[in-house]
Amino acid sequence: MASTLRAGILVLLALGGPVAAAPGQQATMPRAFELERRGNYEEAVEAYRELLRRSPDDLSALLGLERVLLPLNRSAEILPAARAALATDPASAALHGVALRAWAAADQPDSMRAVAERWARLVPGDEAPYREWGAAALAGRRRDAALEAYRAGRQRLGRSDALAAEMAQLAIADGDYGTAAREWGPAVRRLPGYRITAVATLGHAPAFKRAEILRILSAEPDFAARRLESELRVKWGDPLGGLSALEGGLAQSRGQGLDALRALVDQLRMLRTRDALLAQGRALEIIAGRLPPVQASRVRLEAAQAYSAAGDRDAARRMLAGLADDRTAPSAVATGAAGALVTVLIGEGKLEEANRRLTELRPQMSGEEYALLTRALVAAYVRQGQLARADSALGRDSTIEGFALRGWIKLYRGDLAGAVESFKSAGPYAGERADATRRTMLLALLQPIEADTLPALGAALLKLEQRDTVAAARELEGVAEALPPAKGGAEIRLLAGRLSEGRGDPELAERLYRAAAAPETPATAPAAELALAELLLKRRRTEEAIAQLEHLILTYPESALVPQARRTMDQARGAVPRT
Amino acid sequence: MRRREFVRQGVIGLAALGPGLPGLERYGRPAPWLLVPMDDAQSDHLKAYGLAFRLLERGGRAEWFLNYRGGAFLLPADGATSRDAALAGVTTEPLDDGRLVAIRGEIGDGNMDAVPLEKAPKVAVYAPPNAAPWDDAVTMALNYAGIKFEKIWDPEVVAQGLRRYDWLHLHHEDFTGQYSKFFLNYAGAPWLVEMVEQNRSMAKRLGFPSVPAEKRAVAVAIEQYVERGGFLFAMCTATETLDLALAADGVDIAAAYADGSPMDPGATAAMRWERALAFQDARLEMSPTMPVYSDIDGHQVNSPDRRQPLGSFTLFNFSAKIDPVSTMLVQNHRQVIPDFYGLTTSFTRRRLKPSLTVLAEEPSAPWVKYIHGERGQGTWTFLGGHDPEDPQHQIGDAPTDLSLHPHSPGYRLILNNVLFPAAKKKELKT
Repeated sequence: MASTLRAGILVLLALGGPVAAAPGQQATMPRAFELERRGNYEEAVEAYRELLRRSPDDLSALLGLERVLLPLNRSAEILPAARAALATDPASAALHGVALRAWAAADQPDSMRAVAERWARLVPGDEAPYREWGAAALAGRRRDAALEAYRAGRQRLGRSDALAAEMAQLAIADGDYGTAAREWGPAVRRLPGYRITAVATLGHAPAFKRAEILRILSAEPDFAARRLESELRVKWGDPLGGLSALEGGLAQSRGQGLDALRALVDQLRMLRTRDALLAQGRALEIIAGRLPPVQASRVRLEAAQAYSAAGDRDAARRMLAGLADDRTAPSAVATGAAGALVTVLIGEGKLEEANRRLTELRPQMSGEEYALLTRALVAAYVRQGQLARADSALGRDSTIEGFALRGWIKLYRGDLAGAVESFKSAGPYAGERADATRRTMLLALLQPIEADTLPALGAALLKLEQRDTVAAARELEGVAEALPPAKGGAEIRLLAGRLSEGRGDPELAERLYRAAAAPETPATAPAAELALAELLLKRRRTEEAIAQLEHLILTYPESALVPQARRTMDQARGAVPRT
Repeated sequence: MRRREFVRQGVIGLAALGPGLPGLERYGRPAPWLLVPMDDAQSDHLKAYGLAFRLLERGGRAEWFLNYRGGAFLLPADGATSRDAALAGVTTEPLDDGRLVAIRGEIGDGNMDAVPLEKAPKVAVYAPPNAAPWDDAVTMALNYAGIKFEKIWDPEVVAQGLRRYDWLHLHHEDFTGQYSKFFLNYAGAPWLVEMVEQNRSMAKRLGFPSVPAEKRAVAVAIEQYVERGGFLFAMCTATETLDLALAADGVDIAAAYADGSPMDPGATAAMRWERALAFQDARLEMSPTMPVYSDIDGHQVNSPDRRQPLGSFTLFNFSAKIDPVSTMLVQNHRQVIPDFYGLTTSFTRRRLKPSLTVLAEEPSAPWVKYIHGERGQGTWTFLGGHDPEDPQHQIGDAPTDLSLHPHSPGYRLILNNVLFPAAKKKELKT
């Protein structure tokens, strides 16, 4: 507090302009401030004292004296001046505060108690004397004395919720989260502004204390406790539980309930987990139910988007029902709703309906929005294997995203040369980074293949796109058998091996890796050998794995995979920890 | 073993002046050699030591070119060594006889020397059976470099089992028997409960009245091992507590929780420092709750009031031809190395015995980092700190992965010590 006062006063001084002080000049407040500002605390002490000798009740001078004695570690010296000031103005809260801090600095707990009780008699029913008493004790690192002050206050005031925030903060500092939770409830009930502090402090509780805190809060009947519980649950990674806790108290508090729901949505927007998105959608749906229709439509749209992002298409559709065709809804909301509905339809695989909606929406949508949804539709057609429909829907899209999509269409048709050309045109910036990596991997797979068209490979990769890994691996192996190892056969076997390993067929994977590690394919063999060694390690065939890694390192010393092979070998031998 | 003749000052490396490494002649002439550079050209400094060690294990011979290219090794370019280097990722440079002669000339003219390495030392690491392999810098270094070692503990030491080894390493064992003085502050922690139980049962099994009594017996056995010609390397708190245990001859320096009786209030004055290897006249820490033993450690990491910040330490230069042992112990591609904490981080200068050699210090600080000395026929080397690549080292830290620190200059100091007993004794120049 002293530093706040000092900063405030110094700002006022700065606004008042420079102050010159001649030697021997009689002390004035500006001169004392200037000495303090310059860090000349010894002389500032004398200046403030001189002012107080002339006017013992000069609060500014007394506070100034307190500030400059602090860095000199002489805080207790203020006592005579504080006593004199109190004699002139016995009801001043500020003077009592100074006196309490002075007695704390002098380590005189009995005097602190006497000052606080004298002050309390002057202001019955006020928590301030006990709060300042406790604060002064804490400033002297006397936690027991602070607790005594707060307990005395609670007893004298006759209220169980008196000084609850102070008790809670003291408990937090002691690591007693149970007591803190019990104190924060009434504190927030009396003064809702404490909620943020309560959540922030309780939120740091270690994991093993959280269940106890939630149990204590859930036993409280009021809405303030529900809200605390809700925010803590979200903070600790349980957004649906947080919403559920809040919903339980909404009936009893309609006005506060809306604020609480909006605050919860703000909190949930910071999270991107599926549960958070579901909770966000549900909270927005409840908010929409409490708003007039015109305002509700926009909130319903947001709810639909959150549900859709969470993958709950039924809920998204429920929110969007009627909204897209609602003539009373603002046009931006209606268009947004229609767009969200198209996304939902695509997610549900209802592509023809999505296409129809999209065509209808085209006049109302911006070009960018329309292109985005069209590409989502094209990607869905590709996944379904409707390559002609995809090609038709994509049209002449000349964006890099369009080239990337065209590359996939060509690839799955078996037009390898066309796919390579389109992927190269798309470059590395189309879509997300993962998309770019996937295209690069495909280019590496296609590069050694001499044929311009290979429909069997396209069909096998389409199976992979459709997540039919078993069929994809089988068909890829068939394609590889028809190709020389150095002309793509080894690369395709390696891919088939990885798919087989991924779906839990290590025997087949091992056979494919060994076949891919052909000596005539130096570009593929190191990767196949490394994959084989890692597979052997997973199967606890450590010696074989080490032999394989040694072979890789000695046979392909220039391969970029050699450092990784050495590290894997070190881990296999126990020379470095597994990470 | 009579290693002491080797470390005597005033020797001249005859091998350096000779035409070549006699033991390598069997590989034929013109001899194809491999130079293992240990300057910044090296891709894995730590594994280079393992490469040399395994060659010695196979019965081969090598040379250590002290102060030449960071302490390079000369190895025969036989198939096994070339293969081993390729697998380990150690940089080697093929060398013909002409170039080798030129290098020998360069070594002969400068502050350098060529020391033959002829026999892989038998290495023992003193650690309890349940010690995690990732909590001891030497174990980590040996594992990473691929140097074989055996783990031994109190039963083997008390039963005179140290005779079987050339080199012994101690790490953070508390030879005062006070469980690193964590007993009160970490009471109830599972790892401490296990440590206490394990040590108490071992003391009982070996017939000692308390853990401090048993640990002192172990310390004395280790001191006798050095006396008989063993090479001892200790790090972290093993350095300080070994000497405290040795000097506490008839003095109770253990807290009541360790042996049932409180520490002797006059313990500091009663210590018999002539029994200790490295330190003298230290003041003991009397508080049983403070994880600090004495004022030997300069950094006092676990004392909030006395803890000193980390700086960096500088390796000394020695005359390679006159003082090859000290030169071997400081071979490095860096001369200034960032410091790292341990329960004992450094050694206060005023507590060092005057007879020892300081190998590295923090200039202008009142402590040194790395010291070496002799006892009887053997030698000891102490390096303060716990893990050179984990400077703060808190309990529960993730293990250090040395494949991420293949050039660690701090870990090189450890490995210099492992290879140093492999060096051939030199004849005194008459």
